[in-house]
This record gives sequence, structure tokens and C-alpha cells, in this order.
Amino acid sequence: MDLDHLPETVLSEAAAAPDLAALEAIENEFLGRQSSIAEARRQLGKLPAEERPQAGAQLNAITEKVTTAFRARRAELQHLEADKLLRDDQVDVTLEAWRIPQGREHLITQTIQEVCDIFVGLGYRVAEGPEAELGWYNFDALNTPPTHPARLESDTLYLDYGDPADEMLLRTQTSPMQARYMETNDPPVYVVVPGKVYRNEAIDASHLPVFYQIEGLAVDEGITFSDLKGTLAHFAHEYFGPPQRIRLRPHFFPFTEPSAELDVSCFVCDGVGSSCRVCGGSGWLEMAGCGMVHPNVFTAVGYDPAKVTGFAFGMGVERLAMVRHGISNIRHLIENDLRVLEQFRS
Amino acid sequence: MKVALKWLADYIDLPTNDVETIRTAFAALGHEVEGVEYLETDWKDVYVAQVERIRAHPDADKIRLCVVNTGQEKVEVVCGAWNFEEGAKVAFASPGAVLAGGFEIGRRTIRGVESAGMICSEKELGLSEDHVGILVLDADAPIGVELSELVARPDVVFDITVTPNRPDVMSMIGVARELAAYFTVPFHLPPVEPQTVEGETDVRVEILDPSGCYRFVAREVRGATVRPSPFWLQQRLRASGVRPISNVVDVSNYVMLELGQPLHAFDLDKVADQQIVVRRPKPGEKLITLDGVERALVDTDLVVADSERASGLAGTMGGLDSEVTDGTTNVLIEAAAWDPPTVMFMSRRLGLRSEASSRFERGVDPNLAPVAAARATRLLLELAGGESPRGWVDEVAMPHIPGTIELPLAEVSRVLGDDVPTEDVAPLLTRLHLQVAGVDPLEVSVPTFRRDLERPIDLVEEVARLHGYDRFRETVPTGSGGGWSPEQRRRRIVRQTLMGAGLHEALNLSFLGPEDLDSFAYPPEHEARATVRVSNPLNDELGSLRTSLLPGLLRSMRYNFSRGQADVAIFEIGRVFFNHPWDEDKRVPAQPERLGFTVTGILGPVGMNGEGRTADVFTATALWRILAAALDIKDAALVATTAPGFHPGRVAQVLVNGVLIGHVGEIHPVTGKAYQLEGRVAAGELDLAVLTASRPDWLLVEPSVYPRVEFDLAFDAPKEMPAAEIVAAVKAAQPDLTESVEVFDEYRGPGLVEGRKGLALRFVVRAADRTLSGDEIDEVRRSILAAAQAAGVDLRGN
Repeated sequence: MDLDHLPETVLSEAAAAPDLAALEAIENEFLGRQSSIAEARRQLGKLPAEERPQAGAQLNAITEKVTTAFRARRAELQHLEADKLLRDDQVDVTLEAWRIPQGREHLITQTIQEVCDIFVGLGYRVAEGPEAELGWYNFDALNTPPTHPARLESDTLYLDYGDPADEMLLRTQTSPMQARYMETNDPPVYVVVPGKVYRNEAIDASHLPVFYQIEGLAVDEGITFSDLKGTLAHFAHEYFGPPQRIRLRPHFFPFTEPSAELDVSCFVCDGVGSSCRVCGGSGWLEMAGCGMVHPNVFTAVGYDPAKVTGFAFGMGVERLAMVRHGISNIRHLIENDLRVLEQFRS
Repeated sequence: MKVALKWLADYIDLPTNDVETIRTAFAALGHEVEGVEYLETDWKDVYVAQVERIRAHPDADKIRLCVVNTGQEKVEVVCGAWNFEEGAKVAFASPGAVLAGGFEIGRRTIRGVESAGMICSEKELGLSEDHVGILVLDADAPIGVELSELVARPDVVFDITVTPNRPDVMSMIGVARELAAYFTVPFHLPPVEPQTVEGETDVRVEILDPSGCYRFVAREVRGATVRPSPFWLQQRLRASGVRPISNVVDVSNYVMLELGQPLHAFDLDKVADQQIVVRRPKPGEKLITLDGVERALVDTDLVVADSERASGLAGTMGGLDSEVTDGTTNVLIEAAAWDPPTVMFMSRRLGLRSEASSRFERGVDPNLAPVAAARATRLLLELAGGESPRGWVDEVAMPHIPGTIELPLAEVSRVLGDDVPTEDVAPLLTRLHLQVAGVDPLEVSVPTFRRDLERPIDLVEEVARLHGYDRFRETVPTGSGGGWSPEQRRRRIVRQTLMGAGLHEALNLSFLGPEDLDSFAYPPEHEARATVRVSNPLNDELGSLRTSLLPGLLRSMRYNFSRGQADVAIFEIGRVFFNHPWDEDKRVPAQPERLGFTVTGILGPVGMNGEGRTADVFTATALWRILAAALDIKDAALVATTAPGFHPGRVAQVLVNGVLIGHVGEIHPVTGKAYQLEGRVAAGELDLAVLTASRPDWLLVEPSVYPRVEFDLAFDAPKEMPAAEIVAAVKAAQPDLTESVEVFDEYRGPGLVEGRKGLALRFVVRAADRTLSGDEIDEVRRSILAAAQAAGVDLRGN
């Protein structure tokens, strides 16, 4: 047999083999003991020594080609034969025959995480504090005198605990952590404080007696009003998207001065929709209260108001989340209805 | 505070009437615009006319026929109103005229008489809701002119929110002063001084409580006639949201809106001995206020009394007895300065918050009282006639003089940066009507109407405000890092682990009620009953701070149950509160963070036909185990126990390093029923601090390259002995070689001695440094058996 043309012959015969049994027979014919390759190998030793290496190499190359051809065809036939059997094993892959459920993080938690992460990116720490709090931290240390209306029972929830003079209450804001944090940390301070706060409010579509705020505080030498403005603008860009503008409006809070309210340009209508469902047509969304830390607050916590300046801000977590996700009834955030929880995609 | 632009024009020449420009100005000044109301002229072709003659309708008692002079003709119309006489000036709509709401006037025949037009009421003109009678115009209204020439319409009314530190802006002149500073235009006060007659007043004022009343001004007008106010004044009051009543009452309201000083008018003849006494109430004293309600007074209240009894609540509401009525002729005008907290507590205690009290509780300038009293006297003389003696009472209990603040310019730049040029500071303050002297520091004298300005920082804010917040640059300082604490990061792992297991995060209010405590059958001395009570709770159900997360979670389960959800798996992380001091701060109640979860129905992978594992105690223990795995908590144990609210045979203590951190198990069926839950409810509640406590870094253990040996042993153990105990005992026999021990079967039934159970364990043993020989494996097996026997467990079949 002409060994030079053997590979072509083998290839065509192997390709024509209808099944594995036929292929095995052909393989035996071409590579078995009776095959021309086996015969040629036996004849090698009889060749003159100087021809042997070349003839051997040639023979090896041919064997390699033939072997490869058989291996490929064998794999092909194995698949074809298996597929015939697997046809009976076919299923409708679109069926949801096995469901692995995944829980969701509450929207409030997600929002807190996202907002705090923005400030963590600016080098802030995240601190938390007690919810059952002393009147001193919630009010006095924050330059809010005993006669301030916020201290009335109609606004604040008080607790029967300890000495009545301590005025134990459920904190009405996350701001008491400003005082607590400064009391126990020297400047510079860069901190955000997420947490639960409480007010004497009946539940309706836009009020809850328990809700969440995020407080921010930066105290350092040389902090100015521009730092407050820039920081909140940065936050608005990160949270609502880069095209959003901010506006600071003068306002009044006892523990900051100058004080301001932060408006963010409406990310839905950008101020052009006169009947925008999100901003009501004003083009602005009220998002936070803020200001420069009042000198009386520094004094109350033992900082020297002549040495440091700082800014503080506080925002409502529910509002941030509701505005962005089109939630008009705040009850959805407290009822734990699975049909709502399941929608809290991250 | 409602601000009508046409009225405002009395005090300031605004450079614009553009609503958006003014809205921006208010916002920039810090007086937020809550709403803008457009007052339109809703009618067409309504003219001033005079009623010349009135006669009865021949066929009807309740309507009359009026001959009306329109200036061009005299026509007869039918009118059902009775609040006018012959000679009255009225708003007349001829056929073809259009009234509010597009109602077109035609000729109509009413009870057989043709009516050639209509005399209009305020409601028909869209001026107010008043439909009791027709609109009677001022006597000097010119016949034949279009009504709109008399009415301050169209007009724009801004409703602004005034921050609590700015009582001075709760007035038209206060608003004008602010806008004048913003637009750099002049503003002017209205004429104040009345035309008086020679003579002194007999009125005497005594302030017995100077802490409650800083100043009391009293002026009298004698021989006044109480009647409706002129139309223009009524219109201004209405635009400000105040209902006109009579000239005397309207003038006091008008001056309050104009100047910011609330006033009160007494019928002087009803003031016993013409004597005013400002004092705290006597024990048991009562007062019937203007609204007809009898008020029991307490000693923190403050009253204006005559020589006999209380006749009004200071700065809050007058008394019924001394009210000005139609028959009043002698009027006493009160302009006082009250202690803000006194008014605040009294008005809120009595639920009587008024325009007056809202101003007094912010603090009205005490030096405004004489100005406002003069202005009111002047207007009253104009509108009600009578005369006022030159002498009047000004009782000052606590004088207020303008203060001075030193403002170093460096203080401005220290807070505001260099955005405001130093040379701008003084001019900005001057624009705000503050007097500035000196160069650096500036000597700023503050008028008493700006009592909010006390310290340099208050002036810095004024500088920033008038400079414009929008003109400051934006810079972003950065902190030195720190981010989330390790504990906060590990808390996130808790959430993610439970979410991965299919639980949703829930959030509940932090309260519970007595029914919750009973549903959980906490024994009397249990710490969960040591609740911190809310002194002023929202309601009884929310009367205490929660001592457990489970009641809230079960309520959420019920909520979902009742909406047809059978499979509910939720968790919550939050604080619980106890009536004893907190380790982290002894001054406040203990308020540790906890993790709670409740699961009912199927949790985990579910097949198409709903096949899956229904929650029970092992769901709870499994959730604990994955948490322990995720958080790398090793020295943990579950120990069978009983706990309130839990199924007595299906609950375990969770111990970490021997410390109890909570329970996992099944909710007691009776507790479940209290929350309308049926079927098994897996639940757990754990202290979070132990779970999230940061731990040292772990180091990699090189996996052994030597073969493992696996063998099973079946044991015969006392029935009540927990599997975990047996596993721990046999594991301890060869701790270095025992890679894992797993219980793969528990058998209770025939073939065992009474009180025993079968337990099948699978062991994997392997050495880190060598292949174990047969002898070594035999040795391991022998030591395991010895350890088991020592623990009271036998090999089965022995």
C-alpha cells in the first residue's frame, strides 16, 4: 500500500464510518497488527542504517496523522450517538422549575448606604449614636433653649426614665451625634451619622413618627461656607446625577449660622414641567437643612469657636428615596408588604 | 404671611412686578414662598350704582324692588338681600354683564316683575364666599365707574413662610424692609400720629408680672361708631386671609398685618374702673374667651384683667365680656409686648394658636407697641369717628434699647471665605437698616426690631444672605478617612447573608404595647417587661419602646398573611430598649442593636410544584449556622432551652464563647395565634454586637496533600443527649486528626433500649503532614469510641 497517500484514504474512510463500531473496524484495519503501517514499522529494521531515521520520522508523521484523524472522528461519533439518546432528555428550559429566592435590602438601608458611601469617598467616617437621648444633646448643646417650641410634648416624644431633669427623649434629629462626636473626638472631624429619629406625628401618607436622617459634620481650621456649598453640590451630583444644580436658600436652625436649606434641581423636569409630579412645578426639590456650626455649639462641646469653623447638614432619608423612586405614600416604607419589599432593587 | 403686592406698594416701590423675580428675591432672602395666589377680576361690565328707592314686591315677602341709578339710566331690579337702605352704593350688573364663573346676566322675570339686571354679592363677584347680603360699597364710591377701579385687582398674593427668628418679617413693613434691602430701593412707613384732642386718659395700667409683660400701651377712642370697614380695608384683610368683622376689630387686625404688632380692642365701658391689671391667674380662675369657650386657667398663664376679673389671655385671645360689639362707643386699644415663652406655652396648652400668638411667641419688638397704638388710633378715628385724648398710657416693665455688636472683619472671612470683599461688608449691613460705624471692627448698632441679631455670627449670616448664597464658590474639603467601621461592615455581611438565604429586610416602628408583652407571655420579672415608657405616646399600642424585635416582625407577618402571602421570610436590625443604664453611656437607657428574623411557609429553593422545605426550628438553626459561617464565629453552641414566646420543645439558646446572645427556634403556637399566624413560624433574635464584633485577621491553612480517610460509626445514645454534645465529645478525642464529624442520621424506634436513640456519624480523618497508616487509623477509631463511652454513648450493636 502507498503509505504516502494513506492519511487521505483513512480520513475519507473514517468520515464515512456510520458509527463507533464501524470506526473501530476501520481503525483496526489501518493501525492494527495486520495493517500496512505495522508492516512498514517491522520493515524499518531491515533498511540501511543511514535511511532508517528519515524513514522512521516519515512513518511516525503518517501514524500521527492517522491517529489524530481517528480521534477526531471518534469524538464526533460519540457526541452524535449520545445526542440521539439525549433527545429523550429534552426539557422546556423556559420553565422556572427551580427557584432560588433572593431577599432584598430595605430601601432605607440602601439609601443610607449609598449616601454614606458618597461621603466615605470624601474621607468621612460613619458614626451612630443612641436613639433614647438626653435633652442636653438633642437640644441644649445644639443651642436650642428650654423654651423652644420643638421641645413641646406636641413635637417631641419624651420617655419616663431616670431623673425628669434629664429630659429623656427619643431624639428628634441625628444632630445630637454632632455634640456627642465632638465631645469625644478632637478636630478635625469629618463624619456622617445615619439613624432613626422620632417625632410626635400621627401616621399619614407623608408623616411617620419614626423616620431616618443622615447628619453630616465637618469641623476643621479654615472651613468656610464655600466648603459647605461645594460638599453638598458634590453630594447632589453623586446621588442625583451630574446635571443637577443646587441652590442654598437662607433659613433658620438654632445650631447653625449662617443656615440654609438645600434645593436640588428637579431631576425629572429640570424646572420646565409646570405640573411635574416630583417637584410640583417649582423645578427645585428641598433636600436638606444645613449651615455653618454655631459658635455656641462649639462652646457646648468644649471646642474653641475662635480656632475652628465647621459645617453641618441633615437630610431625610425617606425623602431622598421617595423622590428618586416615585414613592408617594411613606407608609410603604414601614408596612413591610412583601410586594413592596420585593421591589427594592439595588 | 400673605403679602399682596398692591398693598405692599404703600411702603415700597418695587422695581418689578414679575412674579418669578419676586419669588427669587424671597427665596434669596430666606423667606420661602409657599404659594402664589392670583387675584383676578372675574367679572365684566359691573358698575358702581346707587339704590335710589326701595319698595316691596307685590307678590313676595322676601324680596324687594329697587330703583337703581347707574349714572346713565334708572332701572328697576329685584333683590333678595336686606343689608342695605336707600342711598346705598352697590355693584350693579346690567343685562349682558358677566359675573364670576362666567355667569351672564339677562333680563329675568321674578314673581311677575321684570328685573333689569342684578345687584351683586361678594360671592357673585368672586371677591369672597360672602353671600349673606349684597356688597355695599363705600358711600363715596363714584357712580358709573367700573367696579374693578375700586377693587385692588388684579393682584398677586405671595404666601411666605417666615422663619421663627424673624418676627419682624411677619408684617407688611417688615417684608417691605427686606425687599428694599434686596432691590436697593427706599421704603417708607405709613403715617402714624393721630389727630388728638386735649385731655388725659382715665385708663390706668398696672403690670404685676414684669417677667410676662415687658410693656403695655393703652390708648382710648371715645364716641366711635362701630360699623363695617370700608371696602378697600376689607379687601386687604381678605387678601391676607383675615375675615372682616367691624371697623374696630378690622383696624386692630390691619395694624397687626401692617406693622407686626398684634393689638386688642376692648369695650372700655366693660372694663371695670377703667383699670387694666396684667397678672398671673388666681387659683381656680376662669375666663370665657371670644370664641365662647370657658377656659380654666393655670398659674403659668398670663391674663389682662380689669379691677375685678380676667378679661383676656395675654397675646392670645380676648375675653367675651369685654368684646367690642355693635353698641360699643368707647374703645380701649391695647398694644403690649409679651414674654414669648409665656404666650407659647399658654396658647399651645389651650389649643389657641392665633395670628397674634404666633407673632408674640417669636418675639415682637417692645418698642413697636406705642407706634402701633398710635397707628391704630389714627385709623380708628378715620374710620369710626370719635375722638382720642392726647394723653395715653405707656407702662414699661422692662426697657429694650438698641444693642451694639462689634464685628471684626476677619470674622466674616473666617466663616465666609474671601468671596465677600471686605469693603462690601459695611454697605451690606447698612442696606439692612443697621447703623454701621468704625472700620475694623465694625460697630454695628441693631434696632430693637432685629432682636435676633446678638452676636458677630448673626451679622456674618446677614452679610452672606444679602451678598447672595448663590454667589459663593463651591469647594470640597476632604477628611482623613475612616469610612465604615469594621462592625458596620460586618453588619452589612449579616444583611447580605440573610438576603442570600431569601429573607427580605423589614423595618418597624420602635414601639410595642402591653398586648405584645402578653402575647409573648413574658413572666413578670422578665427583662422584656422592663420597658421604657413614652410619657406622651402616640397611642396605647405604641406606648413603650420595644424590648424585642419579634413583636414587630410578627405584626409584619400578619400584615402579609392577611394579604394572601403564605411564604414570608423577613429580618430586621434595630435597637431595643431596656429600663436600665446602657453600658456605652450610663446616662441613657440600654439600647443595644439586635437582629431578629421570622420565617413561615417555604424558605429557600422552590420547585415548580411548590416543593421546598417548610420553615420550622431547623430553618432558624440553619439561618444561625450560615450567619456564624459568614461571620466566622467558631466557638458557638446551640443548647435546648425554653423561652417566652417560643415553642417549648423547639428553641435553642445561642451561645458564643459561652455567652448567651439570643434564641433561635419556633414561635409558640399560642403566640403565633395572637398575631393571627397559623403553622410553624421559625424565628430568632440575637444581640448584634457579638455577631459584628471585629476579629483578628485569619491566616491561610495550607490544605493537606495527604489522603483523607472516611468512616461511619453508629452510636447508641441517651435520648435526651443533644447531638451537638456527642459530636463535640468525639471530636475532642483526636482534634488534630479529625477533619470533620457530621451527623447523617438520627433513629428513634424499635430495636433500641427504652430511653435510647441511634445516631449515625460520619468521620473524616486526615493528617497535615503524612499519610495515616492503618494502625494510626485504628488508634483514632479506638480513641473516638473511648471518648464516646466516657460521655455515656455506646457503639450500636455492642
